[in-house]
Amino acid sequence: MSTQSLTTATPKPRRNWLRPLFRDWDRTQMTVSFIILGLIALAPLVVDSPYYLGILILATLYAFIGVSWNIVAGYAGQLLIAHIIFLAVGAYTTLVLLNQFSVSPWVGIPIAGLVAALLGVLVAFITLRYGLKADYFALFTIALMVALRTLFLKWEFVGGALGIGLRLSNPSWLKMIFDNKEPYLYISLALATLGMILQYLIYRSKMGKYFIAIREDESAAAALGVNTSLYKTLAVVIGAALAGIGGGFYAMYVTFVDPPQVFDLGLNVEIVMAGPIIGGLGSLAGPVLGALVNKPLAVLIRGFLSAERSGTSLIVYGSFLILAIMFMPRGLAGVLHSIYNKLSRQSRESKSGGSQSGSA
Amino acid sequence: MDLQIFFQTIVNGLFTGGIYALVAIGLTLIYGVMLILNFAHGEFLMLGMYLAYWAFTLAGIDPYLAVPIAALLIFGLGALIQSGLVQRVLSAHPLNQIILLLGVSTLIIGLVQFFWSAEAKSIHVSYETSVIPLMGLRFSIPRLIAFLSAMVIALGLFLFLRFTRVGKAIRAVSQSRDAATLMGINVKYIYLLTFGIGAAVTAIGGVMLTPNYKMIPTIGQQFGVIAFVVVVLGTMGNFLGAFFGGLIIGVVEAFAGYLLGGDVKIIASMLVFILILLFRPAGLFGRRRA
Repeated sequence: MSTQSLTTATPKPRRNWLRPLFRDWDRTQMTVSFIILGLIALAPLVVDSPYYLGILILATLYAFIGVSWNIVAGYAGQLLIAHIIFLAVGAYTTLVLLNQFSVSPWVGIPIAGLVAALLGVLVAFITLRYGLKADYFALFTIALMVALRTLFLKWEFVGGALGIGLRLSNPSWLKMIFDNKEPYLYISLALATLGMILQYLIYRSKMGKYFIAIREDESAAAALGVNTSLYKTLAVVIGAALAGIGGGFYAMYVTFVDPPQVFDLGLNVEIVMAGPIIGGLGSLAGPVLGALVNKPLAVLIRGFLSAERSGTSLIVYGSFLILAIMFMPRGLAGVLHSIYNKLSRQSRESKSGGSQSGSA
Repeated sequence: MDLQIFFQTIVNGLFTGGIYALVAIGLTLIYGVMLILNFAHGEFLMLGMYLAYWAFTLAGIDPYLAVPIAALLIFGLGALIQSGLVQRVLSAHPLNQIILLLGVSTLIIGLVQFFWSAEAKSIHVSYETSVIPLMGLRFSIPRLIAFLSAMVIALGLFLFLRFTRVGKAIRAVSQSRDAATLMGINVKYIYLLTFGIGAAVTAIGGVMLTPNYKMIPTIGQQFGVIAFVVVVLGTMGNFLGAFFGGLIIGVVEAFAGYLLGGDVKIIASMLVFILILLFRPAGLFGRRRA
């Protein structure tokens, strides 16, 4: 230590430009997330196989959808279990607009976000009007999912039980149909990046603090003057809008949706919940960290278990949720946080220790 | 709708409602004692069905004789899930509890799909389509047996909770965990027992369904959602509420199925559910909370 004190007296200039990026835990999380997204953006340079690019596309899309759920469930603490309804409605909106009205997905996907947001307003209004909280709110969202599934099965205009598929045509930017995977990857990367930035802005804003206050203790937040109804509604609507946008892109990428597939708790676990939970619900980096592990690891384990048999992905995601809750309730971000704390404490100690020994 | 169809629909509804009641009793018992929403509950019913299928195809055991085997096995599984997983999140955020149980549910569905495939399975027994005609109504024998056994099990469980020492201990824990602890009740043991009983009762419901019900790995979700409807309707944690709620939802569904067609009837349950949640969240048997 005393030998180090001599070197710390003249700080190395080359470490300075990195330090602001890791100065606090929030910045570290954002830096790590963007490094991961940046590496994914570079992946097409080394990865040729459409199969592996497909995994990366879904992983980044899951990160974006994870952000949407992280805002509602992670930050605002709302038990919005069947979040997939917003994704499903967004997927349907985009495909119906394209097929029935020839509206380009570039317009259709934002409209999908809007429609999902409207459904979010409705959900928030109904549940707040009648004061449904916690468990009852969770059950309400699941009941809504089951009701919507049956409704969409019977609704012939949107394809009914047959589902709705993208009418395949020549690749065109206008229709968001491409003959290779790279454009899809860059769109989903753009979504994930924008999602992460939006999440950071919300987290830093007053609204984000109110969300966390509501999560920690709703009546205390209300007593301190937080308009809990307004901010709960905002959380649900923002989450819904983002999920609707993600759903729109999901539909364009997988090219087909039907009610049993998208109004389903199994897909909900895979696409919405697993990522943020593995990554750390209520943390900034959670959705990206989780999605990075979630899809690729699931594919890997499925291959290992023999992918031909059905049920393997359910086994994998079910185990993910159980293991995460039992052994890592704060997710990968929580693990990283404790490492970060240890490192920063060490560097502080060595610095203060160094200055003491220097003065002595 | 003439009178005969009307009564036949009621009979059909009650028969299904008996199973709903059994599943809901299990769910409400677990909620009442542990204040935990068991999102994996329907999976116990599904496992009951597949155990009966297994016993039937492997050893030729009649589904009704498989009841004790399934009940014991699922009791063990329930107790294991409780002590290994649920017990450790009892004081965690409700979101963590829900996620954990959704994980358990997903895992069980996945395992069943892995070993028995996602295809629909059914058991064929000689009496599966036999009926007793009585006063112009038709009583399907397997469904009558299912209904009567559900009634007997519900009554037995009711008497067990009411009059035995252990039953009283379970009710004491559901009223006040702290007071029960102070009276020397082993709360952990009661939790384990309750989760096991709740799971086993539900599995029996599943076995009872097998003679004339096709099984798929996700069938538990269908029943699980309905069980939540029933439990909220009959006030969460209320035994008799779950019992009568089950019968009511069974009849409502039967009428909705008759009037709207089979696959739309679930919408009727969901509408009842949403209306109850909105206008009387304390349920039919609960005092309205301020």
